[in-house]
Amino acid sequence: MPAIPLHTAVSYVAGAYLVFFALVLIYVAIMASKLSRIETELSELTELAIKERENRDPAPTGGPKTDPAPTGGPKTDPTEAGGPKPEAVAR
Amino acid sequence: MYGKGLRALSVTTALVMSGAIALVFFWAPEDADQGFAQKIFYVHVPMAIVALCGFVAGGLMAIAHLRTRDSRWDMRSYVAIHLSIILGVGVLLTGSIWARVSWGHWWVWNEPTLVSFLIIFLLYCTYQPLRFSIQDPERQARYASVFAIMAGAFVPLNFIAVRLAQQYTHPRVLGNISGNLPGKMEWTFFASMLGMTLLFVTLWKYEMTSKHASSQLRRLKRLLGEEGQSTGRRSAAPAPRQRATQV
Repeated sequence: MPAIPLHTAVSYVAGAYLVFFALVLIYVAIMASKLSRIETELSELTELAIKERENRDPAPTGGPKTDPAPTGGPKTDPTEAGGPKPEAVAR
Repeated sequence: MYGKGLRALSVTTALVMSGAIALVFFWAPEDADQGFAQKIFYVHVPMAIVALCGFVAGGLMAIAHLRTRDSRWDMRSYVAIHLSIILGVGVLLTGSIWARVSWGHWWVWNEPTLVSFLIIFLLYCTYQPLRFSIQDPERQARYASVFAIMAGAFVPLNFIAVRLAQQYTHPRVLGNISGNLPGKMEWTFFASMLGMTLLFVTLWKYEMTSKHASSQLRRLKRLLGEEGQSTGRRSAAPAPRQRATQV
């Protein structure tokens, strides 16, 4: 089989290599979109964790009313008394 | 976990791929028969070999999954097959271009190598629909593994069948390298082969890292969500967008 003219062959060779690089690029682009989705989820998760911690520890710096006795706390929800410890959630 | 060493691997892959392409266009001699068009060989053949090896590797990982019942093996098998399918698309497209420039046709139906690769590709195209048509994650992983093993065994059988076929119009590469390829072409081919293998491994690791990270995130989200809600609303149902393949 005789070799085809160079100018014809160049376009086919370029086409073949472009197909390959296009596939890799598309794949990388899809991976990048997945990565950005993971990043979004991670930030949502961080927000969720911060809110959780805030819900569990309403007064982290130590307010004036730190009396653990049930009669002493004016606005203590009785259902929270048997709930899980904050450390268990945070870990 | 899967991201360990990924940066070094990515850099190595980029370097080897660049080196291989430089060898292809600046060092390897032109083929006396096909001329410049033969350069397609250096991307088409390594891609085909790596894709077929990826299918077989997916089957081997599926065996490991069925033996150990460890869902991580199922995920590895899934990613290997998924990547091989993508490479398979590239093989068919570059093969068509090469056929056009060599034989004057985009596709030649009486050429066993082309048709056999198409059969393997179409076989693996049914993998994903099969997988995602099953709801139960355990069953899904098990059925997908069985499929991957059977199809993976079909790949070498198919290769042998093609070798035993009567018609040898497709250029042979691995059977008689020393007799067929000049030294420079041979080294360029091996460089391309190495580059393609590294690319496959790198992309496999990328995807595994991504899937592992997203599954960990989802698990963490579920845990935090459960803790954040009232205790009476615990549910064993999976998350709405959870894909069962993702462990």
